[in-house]
Amino acid sequence: MSDWHELVKQRLKGIRLTEQETAEVTEELAEHLESVYLTSRSEGVTEQAAVEQALREVSNWQELRTKIESSREKETPMNKRVTQFWFPSFLTLLLSQVFLMVIQASGPKPYVSPALSGPPRMTPLVVVYLTWFVTLPFIGALGAYLSRRAGGRGATVVSTIAFPVFPFLAFLVVGLPIALLLDDHVAHNITLPAFLVGASAWVVFPAIALLAGGLLVRYLFGRCSEARGNANVNA
Amino acid sequence: MVASGIKRGTAELAVLSVLESRRLHGYEIARRIEQETKGALRFTLAALYPMLYRLEKQKLISGAWETSQNGRRRRCYRLTAAGKKKLVPLRSEWSELFAALHRLAGVSNV
Repeated sequence: MSDWHELVKQRLKGIRLTEQETAEVTEELAEHLESVYLTSRSEGVTEQAAVEQALREVSNWQELRTKIESSREKETPMNKRVTQFWFPSFLTLLLSQVFLMVIQASGPKPYVSPALSGPPRMTPLVVVYLTWFVTLPFIGALGAYLSRRAGGRGATVVSTIAFPVFPFLAFLVVGLPIALLLDDHVAHNITLPAFLVGASAWVVFPAIALLAGGLLVRYLFGRCSEARGNANVNA
Repeated sequence: MVASGIKRGTAELAVLSVLESRRLHGYEIARRIEQETKGALRFTLAALYPMLYRLEKQKLISGAWETSQNGRRRRCYRLTAAGKKKLVPLRSEWSELFAALHRLAGVSNV
């Protein structure tokens, strides 16, 4: 007969619980495995097959450790918001800004749109850093991964993915109108088409690029979780 | 056979339901669910305990160590007052869903 307690203790090594909690979980899981084994034996199954039957109860111990940690964790709603939204959002915002600065400083030349109307020197031009766009799907994917890994769902994950464009959106929607009202030297020559082109270049297209990578990871993460769920809740 | 997604969704209902009438330890919960659903729902250890701990954290069930007559120490779970309260709307939601599926699919047993 196997030493189920020792087996579970070894497999749960490194679990992030208190000593007492670890001991209790180990005892409880060992008890369960022993019950599976004893039931199989009482039904006439050979010793080897009964052991195998018990071991099949857990296909991935590392995943079980993570699930137990998260299910026993005493987490406050504030902690959840931090891990699922604020931390991944600010990390991806920081990364996107660092990449933008590096590309501006030493990357390839940006695409500069021609003047839409009016005298060329009076109409604002739109500067588009195409190389930066290439990095955005990866940044969106990272945001989605971190948020989903922390248990984020639905709107939280989507907001996290799109977060790096929020400062540009805030500037266009709030900052620019205030600047126009308070100081007529600032951006007084911006026309509606130029505003829309600017919004597309700094908000709409970057958001699409972020979402392309982020939603793909969100979908793949969902598929993996579903597959793991199917493996654990067997037919 | 009930689809896997529905099974996962009904897992919480299954656990709370079997604990409604008596205290059970983890292995008994898994056995009872398997027997009462004629094998349609089967919980492995990996699926069961994270759920039990989560339900306990939500104070829907509570666990306590007990020693049986043969000297085996086991953690038994019982439904709390909050769990009983939660079970009522949960049953009604799933009952409505199955009734809707029944109407939609036009089958006698969903």
